Amino acid sequence: MTARLVFDVAAGLAILFAAVMVVHRHPVKSVLALVVSFFALSVAYVMLSAPLIAALQVIVYAGAILVLFLFVLMLLNVPEEVRQKSGRPIHHTLSALAIVVFAAVLLGALRAHGATNAAPSTSPLTGEVAPVARLLFSEHLLSFEALSILLLAALVGAFALARREGRT
Amino acid sequence: MTANGIPLGDVLLASGALFALGLAGALMRRNAISIFLAIELMMNSANLAILGYASTLQSVEGQIVVFFVIAIAAAEAAVGLAIFVAMFRHTETIDVNRINLLKW
Repeated sequence: MTARLVFDVAAGLAILFAAVMVVHRHPVKSVLALVVSFFALSVAYVMLSAPLIAALQVIVYAGAILVLFLFVLMLLNVPEEVRQKSGRPIHHTLSALAIVVFAAVLLGALRAHGATNAAPSTSPLTGEVAPVARLLFSEHLLSFEALSILLLAALVGAFALARREGRT
Repeated sequence: MTANGIPLGDVLLASGALFALGLAGALMRRNAISIFLAIELMMNSANLAILGYASTLQSVEGQIVVFFVIAIAAAEAAVGLAIFVAMFRHTETIDVNRINLLKW
């Protein structure tokens, strides 16, 4: 029961700060709200017995990716979004409609399927890192190496894209 | 019911709410970086659902999938932000309504 309470509080905080992030017009404030949301999500991941993913969430997402966002925002000096007075109202209506329809479909699917057809496997999940590492470096070794090449390609690509033209 | 006694319904509800918020952000914002942030939020909500199911099925495969998602998100963020920097150099703006060179 305690686990459920902690999970629900963490998930609620994550949703709350995600809402703050969506509502804020200032991009720096919305990045900071998303950092808090990701920290809350990492608590939720611990409660789902995935401590490795929780650590990665804090180190990679909150630590690296969002700091990169913040860095680019400050580099480009992005202004606060001004409220659009003469915008096309059809756009807002369609956005709201899409979100409502999506939420309805999601809730319907949740009620229809939920946790009914989930059969537990033989090996119990204890939340240790060793089984994850064993699987990652045996069965998924090729994907892991491909991932390292992808990260290298992304690094080179990002450098080539953001480099100032005409200067080496 | 997950390994720790958290109902899967709670996990999926949280995941769905986060995804809907991300979708709302991606549709409402006009600044390209804010839209990108909302997409990151949607990716995280998918991770939450995957981990919920992995915990219910007592499987470690789910954590591997989420590991790959996080690594690919990092690569995507680096390349995407580099594209925004290059775009800003050309057009002096990252407002998606004002970047309409390819728009008919």
